[in-house]
Amino acid sequence: MGRILSSITDGKGFDIIMVGVTMAFLFALAGVPLVYNVVMSFQQVDMFNLNTFSRPFVGFDNYVAVVNQPEFWLIIRNTAIFVFGSITGQFALGFALALFFMIKFPFAATIRGLFLVSWVMPGLVVGALWGWILAGDFGVLNAILKAVGLTERTLFWKSDPNLAIWAVTMANIWLGLAFNMMLLSVGLAGIPRDLYEAAELDGANSWQRFTTITLPMMRATIGAVLALGLIYTLQQFDLFPAITEGGPANSSNVAQYWAWQWSFVLFDFAKGATVSVMMLVFVLVASIIYVWSTRHEVRG
Amino acid sequence: MTPQIELQNVDKHYGAFHALKDIDLVIEKGSFVALVGPSGCGKSTLLRSIAGLESITSGTLKIAGNTMNGVPPRKRDVAMVFQSYALYPHMTVEKNLSYSLRLKGTPREQARKRAEEVAATTGLTNLLSRYPRQLSGGQRQRVAMGRAIIRDPKAFLFDEPLSNLDASLRVQMRKEIRSLHDRLGATSVYVTHDQIEAMTMADHVVVMRDGIIEQHGKPLDLYDFPANRFVGGFIGTPAMNFIESTIGADGATLMLDGLGGETIALGRKLEPGRAVVAGLRPEFLRVTDEESASFHVELGPVESTGSVNYLSSIDQKLTIVQSERTGLKAGDRVGVTIDPKLIHLFDASTEQRIVSA
Repeated sequence: MGRILSSITDGKGFDIIMVGVTMAFLFALAGVPLVYNVVMSFQQVDMFNLNTFSRPFVGFDNYVAVVNQPEFWLIIRNTAIFVFGSITGQFALGFALALFFMIKFPFAATIRGLFLVSWVMPGLVVGALWGWILAGDFGVLNAILKAVGLTERTLFWKSDPNLAIWAVTMANIWLGLAFNMMLLSVGLAGIPRDLYEAAELDGANSWQRFTTITLPMMRATIGAVLALGLIYTLQQFDLFPAITEGGPANSSNVAQYWAWQWSFVLFDFAKGATVSVMMLVFVLVASIIYVWSTRHEVRG
Repeated sequence: MTPQIELQNVDKHYGAFHALKDIDLVIEKGSFVALVGPSGCGKSTLLRSIAGLESITSGTLKIAGNTMNGVPPRKRDVAMVFQSYALYPHMTVEKNLSYSLRLKGTPREQARKRAEEVAATTGLTNLLSRYPRQLSGGQRQRVAMGRAIIRDPKAFLFDEPLSNLDASLRVQMRKEIRSLHDRLGATSVYVTHDQIEAMTMADHVVVMRDGIIEQHGKPLDLYDFPANRFVGGFIGTPAMNFIESTIGADGATLMLDGLGGETIALGRKLEPGRAVVAGLRPEFLRVTDEESASFHVELGPVESTGSVNYLSSIDQKLTIVQSERTGLKAGDRVGVTIDPKLIHLFDASTEQRIVSA
């Protein structure tokens, strides 16, 4: 008995328990649902067999059916616009802000902290907020655009099929901006000041310092930020019900919202699972890039 | 001839802090100047002001005759070797060396060739494709030097470049830097807190304290004729002994008040009764027998390195360096003598050197 106890407290037994507990946790709360979801995407699922595990397997039928939906390519296109638009906007503006806050001025750190407000707010609240900003007849955005003279006519951001996806993308850029800025600020702060001084003495102007010192030194951070951006953008759900509900006519619908609609509006759980598995493959690629980029840290 | 670097009435304020106070300094072309002083004395600030990494509040800074106030560092044509080396971690040694050339748009092949030449002079030929993290401290140091050399700048600025190296490597690099300087005919400004580096490497040593230049001159002149008590204590190891004293009634003797009040011959005449501080270099003090002793002390700790022995008085006020092993130990009372010509005298209140008539 004492032997077993001591092997737990000071030997390999303890290690095994530590590994076992964490693996059991991961398996029960992440592994099983994930596998269950994948299995469901190959099954025929309806309201009658929902509470059993033994359902008829249908091979790739669900995948074929999903791809053959008339709105499939529209949703793929929207998802692409949403993902790349959001990441580009969040990254470019986030990087610009991060660089801006590297300049020393009074309250720089405090003001930078205030930017996190957008990130702290729940997505539904942000969605409601942007719903008001984007409103066609009385929204602030239109008022500003008209006052500046950029547009004459009233833009119906939420109900114009050509604009709706951009409306949600804008809101998402605002939402993720602070997170990008924070991660990039940390990366920038990690670059030793004397490298810039050495480069300056070596004759580099500010643009050359940015391209030859900042960017290469930020490689790992940028990789991580972009990969996380992809993952978070594909997870972004709250803004869609709050702003456009995917409409009008799916013109602002994206894969993650579509998956939810399949499962919990149309109650076709198999197709919902199918769409989410398709996304899973995509996110997996992004995760691999993320892990890879953090492994290649280039630091002093 | 126009001096390579010239500072006139240079002042530097950081908010309320006055970092450099009315600095005048002329650095001739081809000379090796060391800026030395305790930390916070302004020596690094002065160097960084020459580089342009700090702006000066007032005064004039000229490099090769051209006024450089407000000129950005990249247009000053000076190279700097940083204490941290500041090598670009994402570039190989070759790219580190040729960085400045590539910025200027030098053709790739030519830049590579120059990097190889510089690598040959600095002993880096086999390391050109390595990254800085794969190098030892001494090798990084050489890359930092090579990066400066490749540009053939108007001046080399060194900011405590050896302080991250271990002792034996430091001695070796000291000589390498100096011989490189001579070979290149360069103008170098070298900041260090280590007076040995300053003394051994430089043609001209500038001793700073609290933002002012206390004294500058040839290394041995500073050693032989320190202008004040601070310079006397700063130059030389172990540090000069300072003993509060009074000039005797005859004006030709010194009463060592701080050391038990014994009287020793001075070899020069000064105003009787004047309060002074006597500066006695440990290496000029000799332990001697009773009849030739100038004064006596009771010994405290005796430290021996094998080559030299450090004897301290019991009250720690006096250190004596002697090379012969005498078997003296703590508690012994010994007679000490010194050549009167080697006694430095400083005014007790102004701390300035007293020049005897």
